[in-house]
Amino acid sequence: MIPALNQPAANQKTETNIKLPLSFIMFGLGSFVISQIILFLNSDSLTNGVFRMPDIWMAAHFLLLGWAVMVVMGAMYQLVPVAFLTAIWNETFGFVQFFLTAAGVLFLSLSLSFFPAYAMIGGGLAVLGVIMFLFQMLMTLTRQKQKNIMSWFVGSALISLLLTIIAGFGLTWSMKYGFSYHNHLLQTHLLFGLTGWFTLLIFGFSYKMVPMFSLSHGFEMKWAKKAFVTYCGGLVLLLVSVWLEMPAGLISAWGLMFAGFTFFVLDMKEILQKRIKKKLDRPFLFSLIAIGFGWLLHFAAFGLSLFQVEDSRIWSWGIYLYIMIWIIFSIMGYLYKIVPFLWWTHKYSGHVGKKDVPVLKDMIQEKWGSTLFISLTIGVLGLTSASLLHVPALVWGFQGIISVTSLCYVSSIIRVLTR
Amino acid sequence: MELVKRVEEALYQVIDPELGINIVDLGLVYDIHVSQNNDVHVKMTLTTPGCPLHDSIVGGAETMIYGIDEVNDVKVDLVWHPAWSPDKMSAHAKQMLM
Repeated sequence: MIPALNQPAANQKTETNIKLPLSFIMFGLGSFVISQIILFLNSDSLTNGVFRMPDIWMAAHFLLLGWAVMVVMGAMYQLVPVAFLTAIWNETFGFVQFFLTAAGVLFLSLSLSFFPAYAMIGGGLAVLGVIMFLFQMLMTLTRQKQKNIMSWFVGSALISLLLTIIAGFGLTWSMKYGFSYHNHLLQTHLLFGLTGWFTLLIFGFSYKMVPMFSLSHGFEMKWAKKAFVTYCGGLVLLLVSVWLEMPAGLISAWGLMFAGFTFFVLDMKEILQKRIKKKLDRPFLFSLIAIGFGWLLHFAAFGLSLFQVEDSRIWSWGIYLYIMIWIIFSIMGYLYKIVPFLWWTHKYSGHVGKKDVPVLKDMIQEKWGSTLFISLTIGVLGLTSASLLHVPALVWGFQGIISVTSLCYVSSIIRVLTR
Repeated sequence: MELVKRVEEALYQVIDPELGINIVDLGLVYDIHVSQNNDVHVKMTLTTPGCPLHDSIVGGAETMIYGIDEVNDVKVDLVWHPAWSPDKMSAHAKQMLM
């Protein structure tokens, strides 16, 4: 049985040393810019829809491991104590984990392009870092007295992360020694990483953050269990269908995952309908728009599998859109809220009541944030269209917009740290 | 002025930094009790369990109350029962969130 959200003990200290989440987030921001610059320099490959290229792998790993995974780890060091009211098990262990993972991700990403035969070394370090993170979370989450639906989403996401890394490690092994199930491993790596790890994690934390940022009250979360069971069931069926090569299973699996996503959307809709804060912050609004994009992409995947579309260009760009407008946009929107929270707590928490302190809204440039998010949406959708239509100049131009916007986004987050 | 009233006025100065509204108008303060030797005991809640501003708001409330000369000792207790609900907010707070 999956219990619903329950209430924690009052008067409990939950703060994490800000340097820990911030180290991950800063590394992530740097990786984000690097990934976009590499993609800009490889516009030709993007135009031709050729993604299985060493430079594109390097960019993908900077984007997904260096940016998305590192930022999410940093955010989890901050959010897990908030959401589950349990302090991080061992912060020193967390710093060691940061340095090992950062070194591993850096070495792995660079080696994929420059010295692929040594990718296993970076991969090994990254695996060690992720396993340490998983151990840290295991030790932290087992302290939670009563499990709730968030525990199930986040726990499953963490298991998926472990399986993503194992599949990824298998991939680097197959690159070095050759292995007949290379494509099956690649699809497993992508599915566990994108749908299992990121999507389940965003679902889980959204059940805490959406009501918190919209000040919602009296919602029931009646679809949450169905969303969890249906989505995870679809994911398992999808993996079985991939390994046993059953096309019919793929259709049912994507159908289940679309249904699971729809149940999650129904809960988010109810939470927003019952919100008290009528005017939502713009960056948070962007995370909500990303939920809409994610729902549409799951619908598209179901449609593509139903009509048995196997064009690798369409699926490759579908994966790109899944990463950018669902996962990355969600993370970017939430980060615009999380970083000011972190910095405010660090700098002003002890000064409340002693002197005038700013409110969180004073620390971010909301209008500038909206411009960046709109520009990024135009860039990503434009890039996808231009590539599918084979217009090299437009591919170059739209990737240029994304690269410049990424730089501006990173600088706007760093600006918060000067407030 | 009665000390309870002064404590309440002091708590008007504690602002929830996410919402930009003070904790009294938000309806977070449930009870203020002052003992004979001017020890102050405040019972309050937060809009959501696990609010990341937990320590900041409680610490801010304690600091503001200690700022009143006559106050001897301060204890702020966070409680989840009764749970906070929007109807505890003042009309002013509701207006600010529209």
